[in-house]
Amino acid sequence: MPSSLQSLDFFQDSYELRIAQLKEERGKGIKIVGTFCLYVPDEIIFAAGADRIVLCGGKADTISVAEQSLPRNICPLIKSSFGAVVDAYCGGNLACSHVPLVDVVVAEATCDGKKKMYEILPDYLPTYVLDLPQKPGSPEALDYFLSELRKFGKFMERLTGNVVSNDALKREIGSANETRRLLHRLFELRRRDPPPIRGSEVLRVMQKQFFLSPDQFRQGVSRLCDEMKHATPDTRTGPRIMISGCPMAAGNTKVADIIEQKGGVIVVEESCTGTRSFWDLVDEDADPWKALAERYLEIPCACMTPNDQRVARIVDLAKQYDVRGVVYYTLQFCHAYNIERLRVQKALKKEKIPLLAIESDYGDSDLEQIGIRVDAFMEMIA
Amino acid sequence: MISVGIDAGAATTKVLLFQDGEIMGYRIASTAFDFVTAAGKMFEAILASCNIGKKEVGNVYATGYGRNSISFADKSISEITAHARGVSFLFPEVRGIIDVGGQDSKVIAIEDGKVVEFLMNDKCAAGTGKFLEYTAKALEVPINDLGELALASRHPAGITSMCTVFAESEVISLRARGITKEDIAAGLIAGIAQRVAVMAKRMGLKEDVAFVGGVAKNGGMRAALEKELGVTLYVPFEPQITGALGAAIAAQGNR
Repeated sequence: MPSSLQSLDFFQDSYELRIAQLKEERGKGIKIVGTFCLYVPDEIIFAAGADRIVLCGGKADTISVAEQSLPRNICPLIKSSFGAVVDAYCGGNLACSHVPLVDVVVAEATCDGKKKMYEILPDYLPTYVLDLPQKPGSPEALDYFLSELRKFGKFMERLTGNVVSNDALKREIGSANETRRLLHRLFELRRRDPPPIRGSEVLRVMQKQFFLSPDQFRQGVSRLCDEMKHATPDTRTGPRIMISGCPMAAGNTKVADIIEQKGGVIVVEESCTGTRSFWDLVDEDADPWKALAERYLEIPCACMTPNDQRVARIVDLAKQYDVRGVVYYTLQFCHAYNIERLRVQKALKKEKIPLLAIESDYGDSDLEQIGIRVDAFMEMIA
Repeated sequence: MISVGIDAGAATTKVLLFQDGEIMGYRIASTAFDFVTAAGKMFEAILASCNIGKKEVGNVYATGYGRNSISFADKSISEITAHARGVSFLFPEVRGIIDVGGQDSKVIAIEDGKVVEFLMNDKCAAGTGKFLEYTAKALEVPINDLGELALASRHPAGITSMCTVFAESEVISLRARGITKEDIAAGLIAGIAQRVAVMAKRMGLKEDVAFVGGVAKNGGMRAALEKELGVTLYVPFEPQITGALGAAIAAQGNR
């Protein structure tokens, strides 16, 4: 176990601080946008003078509320998120206290489950949906997404009464890139063998990326990196593991925790709560709208087709981080990531990197079943 | 060196004593609620029958779902590794294992005695011994006769439901339509064989495949699985002990 990094306390204690900040902003008339996805550019929200918080649910508590309206067999992230909104706006006490602070949701047309959930969400909260091309490789797709981003900019202008100027956008791109560079620094340190921080600790930090203000988040990550530079390295010598797949939203650390209990050393996560959120930077010298469109379409999400860039990224990361095995994590009923597993597995097999597929929800009933698979996987790659 | 392997499975517990490359004895019993005490008693009984004192035993390794609860074990290993080692000891040429136990089924690919890939089904009773147990009850035949019954079938019934609970009601409606017990039994077994075979095919198992676990004792099941996969399966003289055997071999220390 690495000596506990003290700068991690900041992230644990940051919740109340952030809630107070959001309440104060609301008092001043600043609009708070709720988001669910990396495809919604922070830069545009901040350039309009609004603030944002991520609404992705990682807790089981609100799922039964959601199941009163949604089918049972859809992914737990969608159910948990939707349940939190319903609960918060119907006077319940299950959702976290940041949920009712949102003025409007900016959603995105990604997977089917989310798209259809966003059609019901307006019963509770004003919802704007950003459309996405599904084949992102073509110039036409880029043009379309660019027009969608501009429309979204107009929406933000109407919402806030502020103008989204090119200068403001450039300023926010600079700020977001600064965060991305900082996260590269954090992940670079994890390439050490043994790494100076546990994967589950990094996950808990990443879960705060779109919850805290960029300033708060950078401050925390920067301190963490400084401390890690001098930290006593983890003395455990378990196999280096990469997690790849669905996001692990705040509250959900189940699989990461099991991997570590079984002696695995998680060194990198190819997910929305991992590399996908920061790996590519926005070009600061180009036209800001076009640069944003280009960068955001590069996000390798399984809702895109064909998602060759993701397969290549996974193989590349596995080599860069010198992993012995990949744990492929799918949220239960997430067809896109579940089906894409086969292509990922084939590509990794060529490189002789074994893959363990785990599909799970937010409940505890399969802890033992996941445990036995991870045990066997660790023995296999030891 | 003397070692002991304990496979604390969900349905049955197996204890095996291993010495100098040989199986000295084993015990199989239904897993009781207090399976730790039960396993301890089996352990002592087997030592007594082989005339061996506790102190002479080098290592005790546990495997199976209850592996981490066996307090007198020195170490625990996963069933996947245990079956791979046990089967490789009995059949060194084997490259794939199909294990159908009381409450789960798994498929393991091995190369040079080492696990290279595995798949497990432990979320659903279909494709496990539990499925046979329930449907045998609906047919009112002892579970051990189900295989023989199936082998006598001439027109296997099509069983569409692979949910254990609903298969039971389907069996009852087939009987109401006058379908013979033999044909229903064959339909049930073909259904579960198909389900297990899909796992094996996903992993690309082709030749030199072993069939282990309690369900491997069922001749009808073995025949159905061989038909699905188009291979002759290796079945150990006692298919239930390969996990305990693998644990005992691992407890010898050398790989």
